[in-house]
Amino acid sequence: MNTQTILKAFVDKAVISDEQAVLIADYEKNKSFSLHWELRSILYLGIVLFSSGIGVIIYENIDTIGHQVIIALIAALTGWCFFYTYKHALPYSNGQVKNPKKLADYILLLGCTTFLILEGYLQFQYNVFGTRYGLAVIIPTIIFFFCAYRFDHKGVLSMALTGLASWLGLTVAPLSVLAENDFTEDRLLATAVILGTVLCIAGWASEKQHIKKHFSFTYIFLGGNLAVLAAITGILSDNAELIYIIAGLALSAFFIQRARFAQSLLFLLMGIVYGYIIITYLIFSNIESDDASFTFGTFYFLFTSLGVVYFLLHFKKFLGIKK
Amino acid sequence: MKKAYNETWIDNLHILNTADHWSEKKLISQEQLESARNAFPQQFYRPGIFVKIGLFIFTLIACSFASGFVSLFLIGNGAGENISVISLICMAGFIFFLEFLIKKNGLYHSGVDNALLYAAMGAAVVPFVSLFDNLEVWQYCIIMFAFAFTATLRYADMVTATSAFLLLFGLLGNIMMKFPVGKAILPFAVMALSAVIYSLVRKDKSTYYERCTKLIEILSLATFYLGGNYLIVREGNALLNDLNLPFAPQIPFAPLFYVFTLSIPVVYIFFGLRKKDRILLILGLVAFALSVYTYRHYFSPFTPAQELAIAGMAMIMLSAALIKYLHTPKHGLSDEQEGKRKLANLEAILVAQHLGQTPVEGNNVEFGGGNFGGGGAGETY
Repeated sequence: MNTQTILKAFVDKAVISDEQAVLIADYEKNKSFSLHWELRSILYLGIVLFSSGIGVIIYENIDTIGHQVIIALIAALTGWCFFYTYKHALPYSNGQVKNPKKLADYILLLGCTTFLILEGYLQFQYNVFGTRYGLAVIIPTIIFFFCAYRFDHKGVLSMALTGLASWLGLTVAPLSVLAENDFTEDRLLATAVILGTVLCIAGWASEKQHIKKHFSFTYIFLGGNLAVLAAITGILSDNAELIYIIAGLALSAFFIQRARFAQSLLFLLMGIVYGYIIITYLIFSNIESDDASFTFGTFYFLFTSLGVVYFLLHFKKFLGIKK
Repeated sequence: MKKAYNETWIDNLHILNTADHWSEKKLISQEQLESARNAFPQQFYRPGIFVKIGLFIFTLIACSFASGFVSLFLIGNGAGENISVISLICMAGFIFFLEFLIKKNGLYHSGVDNALLYAAMGAAVVPFVSLFDNLEVWQYCIIMFAFAFTATLRYADMVTATSAFLLLFGLLGNIMMKFPVGKAILPFAVMALSAVIYSLVRKDKSTYYERCTKLIEILSLATFYLGGNYLIVREGNALLNDLNLPFAPQIPFAPLFYVFTLSIPVVYIFFGLRKKDRILLILGLVAFALSVYTYRHYFSPFTPAQELAIAGMAMIMLSAALIKYLHTPKHGLSDEQEGKRKLANLEAILVAQHLGQTPVEGNNVEFGGGNFGGGGAGETY
């Protein structure tokens, strides 16, 4: 199967004319080899490595280098990044803004990162914020929210959400929700569920109101993950309160509902897996004897998993997705 | 070997993907794309990656509880023979459902068939392990390789292809380790086997095995490089000879391995660019990074942090310079955006996960360092 055979098949089936086939063959022969994603990946990785390296160097030499020099350097870099972004920014719109300047997105990301380094450094050295840690976190969060909307950048939006969560003492990073959050505290658990739900609503609202529709994925993914995992933790802990059960199931249903709009089938998967875990736990926590739950479990898992497979094989029909 | 999936559909799928690509480039009109869809129909059930994952997980759960269900009746005293009988029955059942669902639901690597195939493969291996538990490693390798290779021929599955590949290398390594001279020439043997495999899979041009051959290409190029990499050879040599020294001793033929470590990435990148072969190019880039790491592992004047900063700076400057340079295509290379990144959403989140941790505590600030994952490694094939 190469271009030639495909073109021949197209001409035979009268999909395209002979002249067009010649044109396409010509294009395929002379088309350039795009290094777009390779270069972008190297750039991204370079930014990550560079910022980590510089961070560690500063951390190690914090007493030997003149502090003002470092602060001036970082501040200059940050200032330049924001200036560049501002200079090349396009006017705000509620839709998606594609910046023709290829580097603008990355420069903004770099600026936000160096801003965090700068702030941490000021706090470390001069204790600018004293013990008002909340203030230290909420300032970049507000700035990032503003930048994310003004310059249309999903990465900066998730940085803002991370900041918002850590202001409340949580982490929303998808891979460390369970590892790094201290869910033994009831207050934090409730906070996590509430914050996650609010973020989901924000995502849903941006979809509904057509304000930066493409941000809704980030909101729902980060917030939903946090809320559901917190709710499940709440259910599994001994004081399984009804409110967590309702929240968990409602969120699972909400995910499956979101998948209908075919934003991403990731939500369908999340909804089904989380919902399955909650329902299964509720059923088995009510069976007292071990033997009964073993025998019942064999059948239960066999048939429910077959049911889920059947549902997923026909999900378009069930959810009424026409694609 | 008869192929399990409908070959005409697979060919049509390939044709339609090409047509989609052409219509993106405005080479064919929307109507022509539609008529192509009618002229080359395919009825595969291909949900997105996430539904695939869900199907895979739940099929595996179903398989494990189905085998548990069979065991309820036949487990008896749990002897090897009983286990073998159970696994054979399960295997037959899994394969039956696999074939049946492929026919009925038009599955094509859609999660369910992958899971059923792996479950069947696992069940097929169990009798050999439970009845003959004193074979040599290489004998197990041969038996499993036979299964994996057969399965790959029939189902063109990427995981079975990978396992067949790895088993082949396990076989080679295990046999070579038996002789002293074998240990010494193991790196060359690995490189030779990789080269042979690479040239063999390059010959196969069929659409049916396209994904497998690409994967095996990647793996064989990787093993070829690793077989010649100075760091791997030196540390591996110390490991194989049980030398418990604080650092691995110098190896014979060292200059030869220096040359390999330096030249292989350059050759990969050069040919990748010249033949417009993305696999070679990306592996060349990764191999280059590993070569740099190898160099700094033995001769580095800098601290890790300085290295990170320098490497990051170099990467930023290089890529920015190239992006500027390729603004207008040159030498058949361009910086044109081809297609959308499929998982751009997740990428943004992962990047933010690395960069967005706000320093909170006063004294133990972590300046965004520590853990490196794939910061947006967007490979689009």
